[in-house]
Amino acid sequence: MSSVSAWFKRYLLQFVLLIVVLSSMYAFNPQFHVESSIERIIPLGVMAAGLAVTMIAGEFDLSIASMAAFSGAVTVALSGLGLPVSVTIGILSGILLGMLQGWAIAKLGISSLVFTVGTLILIRGMTWLVCGGLSIRVDDITATDIFRGKILFLSPLSITALAILIGLGVFLSRTRWGRELYALGGARPEAIAAGVRYKRGMVVAFGISGGCSAVGGSLVSALGGSAAPGALEVMLVTALSAVLVGGISLAGGRGTMVNVFLGFSIIAILSAGLAGMGAKAFVSVLFIGLLLLVVVLLDYFLRFVSERDRRNRIRLAAAQAASHEAKVFVGV
Amino acid sequence: MTTLDKAPLELRDRAAVRKASNTVRNWALPILIVLVFIIASVTVPQFFQFETIRAILLATSITGIIAVGMTAITLSGNLFSLGVTASAVFSGVVYIWVGQATGSMYVAALVAIIAAVVIGIAQGFIVGLGLNTVIVTLAAGSIIYGVTAILTKGEVVQAKGTSLEGFATFQIMGIPLPIYIFVLFTAVSWFLTEHTLIGRNIHLLGANENTARNSGISRMRTTIWAFVSFSLGIGIAAVLQASQMHQIQADNLPGLTMDVVAAVLVGGTAVAGGEGSPVKSAIGALFIATITQIMVLVGIPQGPRYFVLGVVVLALVIVLHLLRKAGTR
Repeated sequence: MSSVSAWFKRYLLQFVLLIVVLSSMYAFNPQFHVESSIERIIPLGVMAAGLAVTMIAGEFDLSIASMAAFSGAVTVALSGLGLPVSVTIGILSGILLGMLQGWAIAKLGISSLVFTVGTLILIRGMTWLVCGGLSIRVDDITATDIFRGKILFLSPLSITALAILIGLGVFLSRTRWGRELYALGGARPEAIAAGVRYKRGMVVAFGISGGCSAVGGSLVSALGGSAAPGALEVMLVTALSAVLVGGISLAGGRGTMVNVFLGFSIIAILSAGLAGMGAKAFVSVLFIGLLLLVVVLLDYFLRFVSERDRRNRIRLAAAQAASHEAKVFVGV
Repeated sequence: MTTLDKAPLELRDRAAVRKASNTVRNWALPILIVLVFIIASVTVPQFFQFETIRAILLATSITGIIAVGMTAITLSGNLFSLGVTASAVFSGVVYIWVGQATGSMYVAALVAIIAAVVIGIAQGFIVGLGLNTVIVTLAAGSIIYGVTAILTKGEVVQAKGTSLEGFATFQIMGIPLPIYIFVLFTAVSWFLTEHTLIGRNIHLLGANENTARNSGISRMRTTIWAFVSFSLGIGIAAVLQASQMHQIQADNLPGLTMDVVAAVLVGGTAVAGGEGSPVKSAIGALFIATITQIMVLVGIPQGPRYFVLGVVVLALVIVLHLLRKAGTR
């Protein structure tokens, strides 16, 4: 099989879903615009990419939505320093918090699912403290205009998102540290025995997921010029849906940034398309839930069938070999 | 010769450490609660009063009932559900609707609990196939939330004309009914998980799935039972919550899922499964409610309160983890 067709086969389910979603959106709403509708949901793609990195490393970061809200709050609270500076500080705080989280998880050897339940509440509390319990606004509202320009046909927002996705893709597949994350997610004891540094891997993975959530949160806040203590809570569920619909496994060690991109595109087109038809937000939540359930069930049955086929083939081969042996025996 | 003399001593030391850390782990939270109660009674003026303690127990009961129910899922090695809020709100809506249609809060409660259990069994079936609980419950939660919001058109569902608040306002010796139900539910769950076949199967499936399945324990059946326990908790808590508020909306109870998960984890049930108890989760919920109530009494605003709660949950989870590590070494 050529590498191109192998590539397509690998992402087949996601491609089919993307086409189904896209064509049904056009069928129901002829005025549907892909480009303009995806624009609003781009921060989600960045956050999904970060979450995907921890999942590839066999861990799970439940704190991404809190982290995004925190960075957004920091960005707005420090906007007096100029928006570029405050965005940078917001993102840096996310990366540092994420790295700290990864270090603590590795040091304690604790389940990240358990640990991040705690940090989910803790970082949300920090967001409340930064905001002072109220939603806060950027003083100079014209400062957000720098995000409204266009370079070629892409907005600064989509360029940032694409750069992050491509950068992470290269990092994961082409660098040693990136490939070590796959090893840690796929077969941890073997990886550690082979010399992969577990603690470094966790710091890197959670630094990336913290950083990506911070980029998403800061961009949302900088774009809207405001932040609220309870903001972005729904992002955890949506980002997780995007990652899982994209086909990244919770078991770890599998998945690429192409998965993230496809999953994000499917979710983004679906929710933007439904919003374009005038549906309320909860309708798109319903459809995302249904889609997620369909994808995991389909994935389960596909794997079930292929496993059964494989077993049957082995059994058949064994039976043939046995009968061949018998013939040889009789012949002698 | 010297190594022979040393080895048993070292082993004995290790056994002593293991035993001590297990004892500490089992008794840490109850002792901590007692300490917090004593300190708060001395330092916070309005704390040691019947009303305050009643308020703490009442606040515990809703989260606590669900946490106790969810313990079976965690015990069976299926992590936890991320769709608590949606199911609870749906059951609450069913309670109010059926209550209005039939005029009887008993029929309404029964239908609401059955609705919750049916939804729970459906999720348990999918998880029993071998799919991840976190994904399934997340997807199910989104679907249930969407359906609830569409059915109610996103508006507040109110009980008009019929009185459905009986479950929340009924009192025996000045103590409201939800507290009795909470205690009773915890006791029954404890008995079922510790002293019945299905409870032992849940423990075993969580402790070692391969061994459990090789010994003839059905993953499907056991997982479904765990989800039945969970959704019974959801249904009962939803009825109590809906009769307390007398109204419900699809967007209500946003923090419930995380409160419940935090209660289970703080209580000391291992997320890997096989170890823990519904009583521990009930104590975890009680602890969180106590800390929150004290902060309310002292006058700490919501933001810092959330922050302190996060610190406490994180610290307890880490301490429990370290103790567990020492206990199994």
